[in-house]
Amino acid sequence: MGHNPNHKHEQPIEDAEITSWGKKLIWSWLLTFPIAIIMLTERIFGFPLIEMPYSIIVILVLGFPVIFIFGWNIIKSGIRGLFTFYFNMDSLIALGTIVAYATGIFSFTGIVQDYSGVAAMIMAFFTTGKYVEAIARGRASQEIRKLLELGAKNSRILRNNQEIEVSIEEVKVGDIMVIRPGEKIPTDGIVIRGESNVDESMVTGESLPTDKVKGNNVIGATINQDGILYVKVTKVGKDTFLAHIIELVDEAQGTKIPIQRLADKITSIFVPVILILAILTFFSWWYFSGDLSRAIGVGVAVLVIACPCALGLATPTALMVGSGMGAKRGILIRKGEAIQTMKEVKIVVFDKTGTITKGKPEVTDIYSKVNEEKLLEFAGSLERLSEHPVAKAIVFKSNLKRYKRVLKFKVIRGMGVEGTISGKEIVIGNRTLMKNEKISFKLFEERISKFENEGKTTMIVAENKKVIGLIAVADALKDDSMDALRILNKGGYKTIMITGDNERTARAIAKQVGITEVIANVLPEEKAKRVEELQKEGMVAFVGDGINDAPALKQANVGIAMGSGTDIAIEAGDLVLAKSSLIGVVQSIRLSKATFKKIKQNLFWAFAYNVVAIPLAIGGVLHPVVAEIAMALSSITVVTNANLLRRKKI
Amino acid sequence: MKKVKLTIEGMHCSSCASNIEKSLKKVSGVMDARVSVMTNKGIVETDDFVSLDELKKAVSKVGYKVAKVE
Repeated sequence: MGHNPNHKHEQPIEDAEITSWGKKLIWSWLLTFPIAIIMLTERIFGFPLIEMPYSIIVILVLGFPVIFIFGWNIIKSGIRGLFTFYFNMDSLIALGTIVAYATGIFSFTGIVQDYSGVAAMIMAFFTTGKYVEAIARGRASQEIRKLLELGAKNSRILRNNQEIEVSIEEVKVGDIMVIRPGEKIPTDGIVIRGESNVDESMVTGESLPTDKVKGNNVIGATINQDGILYVKVTKVGKDTFLAHIIELVDEAQGTKIPIQRLADKITSIFVPVILILAILTFFSWWYFSGDLSRAIGVGVAVLVIACPCALGLATPTALMVGSGMGAKRGILIRKGEAIQTMKEVKIVVFDKTGTITKGKPEVTDIYSKVNEEKLLEFAGSLERLSEHPVAKAIVFKSNLKRYKRVLKFKVIRGMGVEGTISGKEIVIGNRTLMKNEKISFKLFEERISKFENEGKTTMIVAENKKVIGLIAVADALKDDSMDALRILNKGGYKTIMITGDNERTARAIAKQVGITEVIANVLPEEKAKRVEELQKEGMVAFVGDGINDAPALKQANVGIAMGSGTDIAIEAGDLVLAKSSLIGVVQSIRLSKATFKKIKQNLFWAFAYNVVAIPLAIGGVLHPVVAEIAMALSSITVVTNANLLRRKKI
Repeated sequence: MKKVKLTIEGMHCSSCASNIEKSLKKVSGVMDARVSVMTNKGIVETDDFVSLDELKKAVSKVGYKVAKVE
């Protein structure tokens, strides 16, 4: 296990690209500037700065390095493109500059006028354009790059009871990290000693610091604020929360947005079409005007004005800026397509537990026909074997020192549990389960209804087919659920809550939070089917946790998966929320809409530019250098416009 | 199935990216390739028999360079 110094201080490829374009830019202009002066003085003042044949030689000599040294990458890639039929942007520029440069050489034979100065200027402007564009593209991805740099470089760990500092690559699962106040938590782990507040905003977007005590999970790259924490490492490297986020963002950039398809189709045939157009233009001008030099000039203008780049950058830049804005707020766009679909969404379906509510139910009331301790002893012993949150609440409440032995334990999904304790058959569950087991709860009906009207999930406890008591469990609403629902309702969305709870409990909670429509008594596996039914009315977004609700998230037109603090649901959901808050849903809807609007805007401008500029060039209205400047500006405009998305308040 | 992440130098826009995608997809054993101009990355899904050299060649064939493989 050794250090790898090269690995850590590597310059990001984006910066390398900017530096390299920057260098080429300076050299190109140093040489092109004199060319421009020679050309302009001749044009404007009508007298040559240098005598005629010599001026061409000077221009050719100065222009050569601009095109064939500093522009070599473009020439090389362009020519290769022409020969392999993988045409690209460079093919157009390469052809344009080479043809223009060649006129300088052939001008000595007297057949054409010298255009070679134009070649250097085209290349210099192209380089300038690429430089500015690279900076703007770097800006578009700045938030994402910040995420990459967020990871800690070192960690202090305990080895043989001694604190030693090691590089992050050497930290292993099971190591104990010591994190002082103000320090970055090096990697994911679980607190084993100490207490503190941790600022998790950089990865979850959650602005308030989170309390961390023994047994809590912490996320790597978050900042420990005020106490010393001893944390046992649970995840390193590619398995960490941060690594997952970065993975999601990278993956999302590769996904295609439907609206981009047309642009992609056009860009794929763009270059060959322009090549043909340029050739046709050249021959037509030559034929009709008889002026070979003019025909070459117009042909070159057509070659260099056409810009598939603006079209090709319209969507990815806006998506990148949008992704970055989202990542900062704990919203991860996993599938680009969701951005487009989101604007069609009319119905938002929320899972109840863990989405609208905190997902940590507590026992609020116990109504017992027998000794309360006995009731809790049965209930606690039985529910201990279940993983359900309600079961956990009951176990917590029963607070048993010793659990009774349970035989024939069975979980009836979405209904309850049953088993035998000391020879007695115990059933704990909802109304449906009691009906299935033919246990009458008529005498308790009034009490059950009362609990349910208060939004409490009521578990009926039966011993040998006779009800012995009720346990009511309530799950508190998340702090911002009400705000989020108010905004969505005002925005004209139909909001629906889906839950396994019975109608009355569900309605009571829906009323508290401001949801009008409820789909109750739904078994977990039926959720996807219910979503499918709703899709007949319109596009549906489903908000739920990524584990239990995965099928519904997939079925919905847009699946919004909620994280649970330290875990993010990677596989399910088109959008993933790192923070567990419904305001995140509102934000992700706003973000999707704003990003999509920006994409449309960009595509419009890119199309419009080409539709206007190409005919102008064919018409011979534009000087090749002006054409090149216009081309460079068009792609810069698109990238800059994408960056303006940041101004939008999400 | 393997997932290879390539960092690619020299892309200008998504037409470059789609050229690379096309070229990568032609390599036998490559199931899917997604290249992004914004992240300068390509994610290639391949079977277990595709060599990195083949992928690198597919990228350089269309005029770009693989700077890093993950």
